Amino acid sequence: MIDADYILSSLTKTFPNDFSESKIESDTKLTSYVEKDAIFNVCKHMLDNLECNHLSCECGVDYPDRNELEVVYHIASYEHPVVITLKVKLPRDDPEIESIVSVYWNANWYERETYELYGIMYKNHPDLKPLLLIDEMLGDWPLRKDYDGYPNKTSKNLV
Amino acid sequence: MGEMIENVNFTTSSAISDFLKKTPAQDIINWGRKNSLWFLTQPMGCCGVEMISTGCSHYDTDRFGIIPRDSPRQADVIVISGYVTKKYLPALKLVWDQMPAPKWIICMGDCSISGGPFYESYSTVQNIDEIFPVDVFIPGCPPRPEALIQGFIELQKKIMAKKDIGTDY
Ligand code: SF4
Repeated sequence: MIDADYILSSLTKTFPNDFSESKIESDTKLTSYVEKDAIFNVCKHMLDNLECNHLSCECGVDYPDRNELEVVYHIASYEHPVVITLKVKLPRDDPEIESIVSVYWNANWYERETYELYGIMYKNHPDLKPLLLIDEMLGDWPLRKDYDGYPNKTSKNLV
Repeated sequence: MGEMIENVNFTTSSAISDFLKKTPAQDIINWGRKNSLWFLTQPMGCCGVEMISTGCSHYDTDRFGIIPRDSPRQADVIVISGYVTKKYLPALKLVWDQMPAPKWIICMGDCSISGGPFYESYSTVQNIDEIFPVDVFIPGCPPRPEALIQGFIELQKKIMAKKDIGTDY
């Protein structure tokens, strides 16, 4: 039976140096930080060997105090009930990470959206362009916490 | 123009139309127009769901001549029913340009009037009335179907009073 313990031990055995602050919250919940260079191979390992065949979400978080951005992956499975949360820390001035589209196909639009809203560059993404924003807004990164949107780039009839 | 015939005055269709605007004939034309306000089924936000249900049989808008249409070529009224994102604005303009005159716009919901809950958003367009000639504003979040029907009736009154922005008299 595959549970959170089993997955964590398999991951740490295969990638001994890449996991930190791992936390098992219950049989079905696992959270961990991953080194950014390892994330592609970690995802591949999970898909091939651990039956984690469903990427349910990929998103970004901004931590201006730590001068870091985080990419968060929620990976689940159709075969067993474990949901794995993987987080990757990236430096804020040069956030670049390997794309996982070739492992999980549905990461495509998630990565495009995270790119346009946070400015996280995905290496080897097949088609990295804005998804929901107009092209002119590229470079504004509206969901970063230091975005100076209001009032300059939003409503013009205020005050 | 063909050969001139003695004692016959030639005219053009725009001259006729200009002449009609100054006579009571325009009242009859407007009476016809106001009773066939076909609107475009073009939902854009949560208000769009109210707009769709307004067009369904329960509210029986046919009795006012208000019928939902699927194509901009067949529609007289476009209901801006929700938030307009910056990405969507060019498409909306295209749809508006495809509609044959005379045509009118109704703004439905707080989003299309002033931004509503998305007032300070980075990706929505404020002040739609600066971009389109809007005749009727219906506040609410979302307005009930009855309010939309009320909005159509206000538009009919405006057309009968020749006060609508869509046509120039
Ligand atoms: S006005 Fe309210 S109900 Fe209508 S589109 Fe905006 S948020 Fe949705």
